[in-house]
Amino acid sequence: MHLHVASAYSMRYGAASPKALAVRAAELGMRTLALTDRDGLYGAVRHVRACAEAGIGPVLGADLALSPGGAERVVVLAVGKAGWGSLCRLVTAAHAAGERGGAWITAGTVAERPAGLVVLLGPASDVGRAVAERDRGRAVALLDAWRATGAEVVVEIVNHHGRGDGPRAARMLALAREAGVPAVLGNGVRYLDGADHPVAQVLDVARKLVPLHRRHLDDQTGHAYLKPEEEMRRSAALACGEDAADDLVRATKRLAERCVLDPERDLGMGRAHLPGTGPEPHGRLLARCLQGLRGRGLEHRDGYEARLAHELDIIGRKGFASYFLTVADAAALIRDLGIRCAIRGSGAGSLVNFLLGIGDLDPLRHDLVMERFLADSRPGLPDIDLDVESARRLEAYEALFARFGTDATACVSMMETYRARSAIRDVGGAMGLPPQEIDAIAKAFPHIRARQIRAALTDLPELRRSNLNNAQLNVIFKIAERLDGLPRHIALHPCGVILSNATLRDRTPVERSAAGFPMSQFDKDDVEAMGLLKLDVIGVRMQSSLAHAVTEIERTTGERLDLEAVPRDDGPTFEMIRDARTLGCFQIESPGQRELVAKLLPRTVGDLVVDISLFRPGPVGSDMVNPFLDARHGRRPAVFPHPDLEPVLRESQGVVVWHEQVLRVLDVMTGCGLSDAEGMRRRMSSEEGLATVGTWFRERAHARGYDGPTVERVWRTLAAFGAFGFCKAHAAAFALPTYQSAWLKRHHTAAFYAGVLSHDPGMYPKRVILDDARHFGVPILPLDVNRSAVLWRVEDGGIRVALTEVRGIAEAEVERIVARRPYASLGDFWRRAHASRPTVERLVLAGGFDALYRDTPVGRRDLLCRVGALDRASSVRPSAGLVDGQLPLGDDLAMPEPGMLEDVPLGELPPMAPSEIVEAELDVLGLDVSRHVIAFYGDLLRALGAVRARDLPDRGKGEEVLVAGVKVATQTPAVRSGQRVIFATLDDATGPVDLTFFESVQDRCAATVFGSWLLLARGRVHKPGFRAASLTASECWDLAVLDEAWRAGGIDAVRRLMAASGPSGGGRMGRPIGRRMTYSSGFAVSPYADVGHAGPQIRRPPAGRLWHASQGSSGPTDP
Amino acid sequence: MAHVFGDPVEVRVTDGRPDRFAWRGRRYAVRRVLEHWVTTRDWWREREPDADEPGEREYWRVEAAASGGEPGVYELRHDSVTGAWTLSRLWD
Repeated sequence: MHLHVASAYSMRYGAASPKALAVRAAELGMRTLALTDRDGLYGAVRHVRACAEAGIGPVLGADLALSPGGAERVVVLAVGKAGWGSLCRLVTAAHAAGERGGAWITAGTVAERPAGLVVLLGPASDVGRAVAERDRGRAVALLDAWRATGAEVVVEIVNHHGRGDGPRAARMLALAREAGVPAVLGNGVRYLDGADHPVAQVLDVARKLVPLHRRHLDDQTGHAYLKPEEEMRRSAALACGEDAADDLVRATKRLAERCVLDPERDLGMGRAHLPGTGPEPHGRLLARCLQGLRGRGLEHRDGYEARLAHELDIIGRKGFASYFLTVADAAALIRDLGIRCAIRGSGAGSLVNFLLGIGDLDPLRHDLVMERFLADSRPGLPDIDLDVESARRLEAYEALFARFGTDATACVSMMETYRARSAIRDVGGAMGLPPQEIDAIAKAFPHIRARQIRAALTDLPELRRSNLNNAQLNVIFKIAERLDGLPRHIALHPCGVILSNATLRDRTPVERSAAGFPMSQFDKDDVEAMGLLKLDVIGVRMQSSLAHAVTEIERTTGERLDLEAVPRDDGPTFEMIRDARTLGCFQIESPGQRELVAKLLPRTVGDLVVDISLFRPGPVGSDMVNPFLDARHGRRPAVFPHPDLEPVLRESQGVVVWHEQVLRVLDVMTGCGLSDAEGMRRRMSSEEGLATVGTWFRERAHARGYDGPTVERVWRTLAAFGAFGFCKAHAAAFALPTYQSAWLKRHHTAAFYAGVLSHDPGMYPKRVILDDARHFGVPILPLDVNRSAVLWRVEDGGIRVALTEVRGIAEAEVERIVARRPYASLGDFWRRAHASRPTVERLVLAGGFDALYRDTPVGRRDLLCRVGALDRASSVRPSAGLVDGQLPLGDDLAMPEPGMLEDVPLGELPPMAPSEIVEAELDVLGLDVSRHVIAFYGDLLRALGAVRARDLPDRGKGEEVLVAGVKVATQTPAVRSGQRVIFATLDDATGPVDLTFFESVQDRCAATVFGSWLLLARGRVHKPGFRAASLTASECWDLAVLDEAWRAGGIDAVRRLMAASGPSGGGRMGRPIGRRMTYSSGFAVSPYADVGHAGPQIRRPPAGRLWHASQGSSGPTDP
Repeated sequence: MAHVFGDPVEVRVTDGRPDRFAWRGRRYAVRRVLEHWVTTRDWWREREPDADEPGEREYWRVEAAASGGEPGVYELRHDSVTGAWTLSRLWD
């Protein structure tokens, strides 16, 4: 019966999920429930599905403001298909009228398309406000204005039991009766129970960015909950009397029944709304495929025509021909722009996709099946994902919008929800905590869910040792936990684009994204449920890196390289991969992957497919990796559960690695066919489905004559594989750019680094890639205003730092600098490049002008002073810089204008020390360009006897050593034991050192690992592979702190400090961190696996001084 | 004129509304409810804020009379946490 209900999709307003509301309404015996979120239909699809599950009728509407950011609001409900279309368009118009986030309508907006709309005028409406102010004349006039729109108008009576609510409600009812307008009951619902009131109060002030105070609260009484009918009646009776209350309840139910929408008939769910592709789509699809078959030279090859006929059969039965034609059209459009475009995911398994040129991978050659992508047993539209260059993704979007028409296209959105850090920020702000304090508290937490906050405080060693466990903060944490998962703001989905027809605007409301793209209010699941075709156009940084490398090769050598045509069996490339020298390469640069490639020793692209597939939680968790490696290296024979399965499992040495193999195993053992097998595989992802499929499998396999032990053995393997496996088509699609990146690294090393440094595709900070370049003998050329370009460039076999690396530099500044060079001097640059003073200062500090003054004794400090003088001079005379020749601002720095630099004669300031130069580089560029930062700790590390990364493999297994370096990565991935293991990578200028911190040592190590940038660690050498070596760490220290002690008190002071932080002991040693979730396969997962770490990001060094460049400071020392 | 009191009263509730109450040894019959509203506490201003039990105070402004007496307007307050009733104001 409720007609006015905000869910959590009313951002920072509602506190209950659509599902919870629907379940509660059904429990209360209601037959209908409306969802009328503020400013949109964000939760509409979820509401419809939740109502279907709860067995009640869904009503949809929106709660819309009557002025930008204004407090006056009306609710507009939809009746029937026409109403739904009108409502979608009304919400779209509301967003088009306002700034982003400030949607609003007027009666005039409703009048543009009133068909099927019901306007509810409640206490917050303009009419309600006039009634509250006892301005009867205005109330009547406003009511008439709404009646003139052509939409149905209904007065909404609300009594929240605030002071004066009752009498106001009575006056509203009197107005409705006199004007002959129907009246219904509403409750402006925002949450499920009265106990949720404090959450709504916090949301009210978080929305308004003010601290908690009575005057900022929309909800004063805590009565905006989903009240049962009897309570609604009582509230009405208290305000308007018993008889009126009964009438209102009846009128409310009548209107609600009339507004119930039918998901299929009214919303168009359950069928596809594809772009029009002209008549006879299937015939044209067939023709295009045959053409592709000829074009790729596959016309009379075994198996291709049969496979094509099979795929076209399924497509025909599903009626998806125009879908494939549309996607082919889109892919061609993107490629015609010269944007690199690769198919990803299961779509690579379809021959039709290959023949249409959507993908470039021959599925028959890689033994991929179509059914994983599209099968009779798969509901809904299949997913085709296209990887494009990240830097040109929006260009691809714009081309798609232009091609398919703005009315028929929109981007998909996604909801950012409250997690621990964001919830703490909003609640902390509501409670009036100072911003710096809030920031420190929020960042102390890893990127966990909000509802894990208090558990994390006791679980995680890095938090146990903090001072966050106090009563004052506890209330903040408790409320923050209650915000868990509530939508916080809407954002552009990173890749989804809807391609549809002219009816799209009747099917989804659209608003503008921050970047100005039309964006559906529906997320990817909603879009699918609504039968809309979503094409995922994914921006992949590696594709941009590859494109940039190819461009640089052509610019410097004139050679036009076709990466797709490069032979895929290059010996030197695989040799480099087997040596695990793969930093910067796609997919295989992480510590775990470097360890795996060193063990697996790939020789072909097929091996890379296996490698990528094995490096997943599933195979690692089910211990498939070691049996595979043993069989691969001939240490034991491959074991097949049954000879019939040998062809299916041969490539992976008897181990089930791929979804495709699950399909084939099911098919071989039961004879069910691949389509049904795919249906079964999908059901196996839930525990319940797994049991059902297990029973079915055993029956069918026994019936086909397989013996009991075999059936059990096979089923155990399949069940353990569970939902974790990997789609082989996906791995195959990934293996190609992996090989291409490695090939470039091996053969066009400088261009490879220019690409990777420009587009930053990997997991490591750029300074790691930079150091890797040094190891590969690629010179790093410093920043130079006359030579540095927008992106990293290849120059004489070296790579030149890009201007965009300068912190805070504006895109326009970069463009001007490049367009107006060369520059003869700093003064010349100042006059013509028009860069801001901070930018020029940073360019100076990072050495951007050094080349101009190579022969004169002018240091960076002098130049910095000069920038100040230039700035003062140009601000004194506003015309400065405009008229050439009039200015005494000398190009000749040796003869400064008298009186300008009188206090600081040039050349007298001491030059910057090497340590200061590196410090400036780290500050400005985030990169230690001139030398590795660890060079400044050489003496200390030698005194301590620390081992360099390069020498680690020579140390004995189990030997205890010290290592040091800059922290470049920390991860807490899911591991087999279910522990939260911290993997950290240090970079010490001779290569990466990978450290493993098990739970038993995290009590004393975790805070230091997450909190420090420079680390010294002690541990035992671990040798997983033939050449690889890593460290199982037991202790670690902040190297900067030790360095300070060293300078003050020598090596003895350092040793004392190291001893002092030794084993902490205590009962918590070895205590598991958090409760593991255990899957039926025995695979256990830590609740803190794969969450972003606590503390600041580590892609840039921390602000502030890194070491003490005091008088005693030694310069850099060679390692 | 209005008087402000804080006296505890005993109240009988029928159909969710105060029906009778006893104050200073006299019994009053409620003739009609004039106004009803609720307030909640400002939990965030408390020394140890606790948002778990938001609490509610319910106010009933009623017209009532003691047997044989003149009718007056009485404001009864009910605290949902303690369950206590108070006579908060009186107009006579």
